[in-house]
Amino acid sequence: MTKSSKMHLGLFVLGTGHHVAGWRVEGAEAGAENLALIERIAQTAERARFDLLFFADALNTGPKVHPSVLVRLEPLTLLAALATKTTHIGLAATASTTYSDPYNLARAFASIDHISGGRAGWNVVTGAFAEAAGNFGNVGHPPHELRYAIATEFVQVAKGLWDSWEDGAIVMDKATGRFADISKMHELNFKGQFFSVKGPLNISRPPQGYPVIIQAGASETGKDLAASIAEVVFAVQQDMQVSRKLVDDLRARAEKFGRNPDHLKVLPGVCPIIGESEADAKAKLRMLGEFSDPASALKVLSERLGQDLSSYPLDGPVPTLPPSTIMQGHAVTLSALAKKNNMTLRELRDYAAAAMGHRLLLGTPEQVADGLQEWFVAGAADGFNIMPPWFPGAFDDFVNEVVPILQQRGLFRTEYTGRTLRDHLGLPRPPHPRAGMATDAIGRTVAS
Amino acid sequence: MSHRQMHLGVLLLAAGNTVSGWRLPEAQAGSQNYDLIETVARKAESGKLDFIFLADGLNSFPKMHPAMVLRFEPLTLLGALTRTTKRIGLAVTASTTYTEPYNLARMLASLDHLSGGRMAWNIVTGAFAEAAANFGTAKHPPQKERYAIAEEFVEVIKGLWDSWEEDSLVMNKATGEFVDASKMHELNHAGTFYNVKGPLNITRPPQGYPIFMQAGASDTGVNFAAKYAEVVFAVHQNMDTAAAFAKRLRDLAASYGRNPAHLKLLPGLVTIVGSTEAEAKAKLAELGALTHPIYAMKVLSERMGQDLSSYPLDEPVPELPPSTIMQGHAITLAETARRRKMTLRELRDFVGISMGHKLMCGTPEQIVDEMTEWFNAGTGDGFNLLPPWFPGGFDTFVDHVVPVLQKRGLFRTEYMGHSLREHLGLPRPEHPHANRATPRVTAAE
Repeated sequence: MTKSSKMHLGLFVLGTGHHVAGWRVEGAEAGAENLALIERIAQTAERARFDLLFFADALNTGPKVHPSVLVRLEPLTLLAALATKTTHIGLAATASTTYSDPYNLARAFASIDHISGGRAGWNVVTGAFAEAAGNFGNVGHPPHELRYAIATEFVQVAKGLWDSWEDGAIVMDKATGRFADISKMHELNFKGQFFSVKGPLNISRPPQGYPVIIQAGASETGKDLAASIAEVVFAVQQDMQVSRKLVDDLRARAEKFGRNPDHLKVLPGVCPIIGESEADAKAKLRMLGEFSDPASALKVLSERLGQDLSSYPLDGPVPTLPPSTIMQGHAVTLSALAKKNNMTLRELRDYAAAAMGHRLLLGTPEQVADGLQEWFVAGAADGFNIMPPWFPGAFDDFVNEVVPILQQRGLFRTEYTGRTLRDHLGLPRPPHPRAGMATDAIGRTVAS
Repeated sequence: MSHRQMHLGVLLLAAGNTVSGWRLPEAQAGSQNYDLIETVARKAESGKLDFIFLADGLNSFPKMHPAMVLRFEPLTLLGALTRTTKRIGLAVTASTTYTEPYNLARMLASLDHLSGGRMAWNIVTGAFAEAAANFGTAKHPPQKERYAIAEEFVEVIKGLWDSWEEDSLVMNKATGEFVDASKMHELNHAGTFYNVKGPLNITRPPQGYPIFMQAGASDTGVNFAAKYAEVVFAVHQNMDTAAAFAKRLRDLAASYGRNPAHLKLLPGLVTIVGSTEAEAKAKLAELGALTHPIYAMKVLSERMGQDLSSYPLDEPVPELPPSTIMQGHAITLAETARRRKMTLRELRDFVGISMGHKLMCGTPEQIVDEMTEWFNAGTGDGFNLLPPWFPGGFDTFVDHVVPVLQKRGLFRTEYMGHSLREHLGLPRPEHPHANRATPRVTAAE
């Protein structure tokens, strides 16, 4: 198995930073509707040669949620806007398969891929929050297994729709009046368990073939979905050995699905807090803790453990809970971390508040670079999804102080060598399934 | 005395409005041609037009109008255009039949934020029954049901846009108060077609609500427009019919308790501009040669009430007995032929190119004269331009017709405001929970 010598870096943009209280830091700018800030962040990430920007999403809100997700610009329109202000960096966003139609979503992502010149990525989620159901007819959030079955079919439909038109279908022959080469058009005629879609899609094949498919579910079903379709896997991991096992597991599953295991990149999340010394970095974390609204912080933890924790004593141990039906990766890693370090509920709350449950990397720039290098070299990660605790300062620190170290060590690119997100990630472009096949007069493929 | 001024929008059907306009040697085309679309949007902005307008559809088939077979998804396309234009309004078509109100509410609100308050939504229920097959549903709902759904959809979307009062984001670093939760309102809509709890996860659009537009001409459609639409598109070739429709619509709006002045009616207008009448006619002929002559003659004959296929093509249009059908069309077309001294061939091409819309062909002054006549006759508040091809078919309008309108005081020379509401002179809806004056719309930098 060939191993890439350079790591991949994504920037997970949350409008007020990942720490629940990041927005309160002196010098922090905030707002998930703050386009000027988001554009600056995007351009900084591109200057630093990040593989991609990533925007999470959800379909509900309420007064006590993390301030980054309270209100936000809708991600697909935002990605299209950012496409005009960037030239190389990948543009990825979350979109749910539970509350949207494949035709609409396939169009939107294809459109973003065209507008951006082949930089779109789609983080396929089924929707962690049952509250979303209330905004879509209130018939009840489907249970976990069903959501994943829907998602599997949804992605299949989307790919079929993206293949509606073979490459090069737009002809625009003025002399003959032929605008499109209809022989390159294919109806989908998908009839499945959840979706019935005729097609064709009314947009031509995305420049990347398909947008890069990203997935983040950590349950057994989630891992199978990732192994069967995901090209990038976002993971939540605290322990290097466990992460290494996950990477190996995903690659083995991918092989079982007939895929090249190198075409699956695992990017665990990392929240870097950089200081002039380790003590300085820890002091920053403490400062953030002091700014936290305890109720918001506890909600972040509750979501990740799958149960409302507000009635448990804060200075007691983290309670043993039934298995979570959502965010299973977070639930498992956070519980393990608490147990390993004998953490109180309060301590775990504050840890989770820092980076929504992801790994915290505290220290000097060298120490942070070491932390990333160690996992990368051990095969525990193909790269990382960087989650700054606040913007722009904490991200600027990473870009100005850690990225150069990684570059000097030959661990990260100094220039983009390609133009598409697939280029940056070293992923192949899926050929059209019918490329080179003969078709009849109305475009149906025939045995040649 | 200041003149009443026109409003002008332009339909950006990027292969041009006519089926074959893209075939002109100088035409550029493609509803996936980003550079062309951006260029046209900027040209429209340089001409101080009120808005650019994107049509849409949710299906494709081989014989479709070339501008519709393949196109960008319009909401994401506008996401990009919000950053490459500054003042011009951005109108988008979206169907109420095949999307969820929560999802559309987010996207339109996001676009209004991204653009600094320039969005409009052309509400359609879906003209093509074939779209149903792309959404799992066995059948396209019948028209009355589609409009009932649309009415409830609009109520839900307004309620969602009102989820957050203005200034609900406090973001006080010192106290740690991020949001004033008392300014957040769940919707809790439980209706016939939709159950939506809310709140929306984006703050109130800068315009309060994006502007509602509508184009349906059926009785149900007109009724819907009278209730909700702030901009109405219409298709008329006859000035008197157009004026009668305008009066009917405004009276109906008034009967719903609305101020009829807050409904801007924009009939569609195709223009072919030449520096001389002969040049305009030559362009008409060139376009005509690209359209299907037999089909066009058939349409002309229907409208004149008599089969004209045996008359000499390059002679003046013959005098005919009054038509017994399509009288409006017959009168209008005979009028046009007389006024422009057209041959039968020229009139045939005229019909083939106009696609049912009002077509004005001539010098800039002639076109402005005719536009003014329409404007003063009560046909509406301006026009929705439908350039027959891009970019030339639109550039000539901006470069030569707009200056004449401006010189005569009939069109703005500068944008006075930042939002589309300000361009159109439409009031900004107050938040239903507001107990103080709402802040002015501010532009995104």
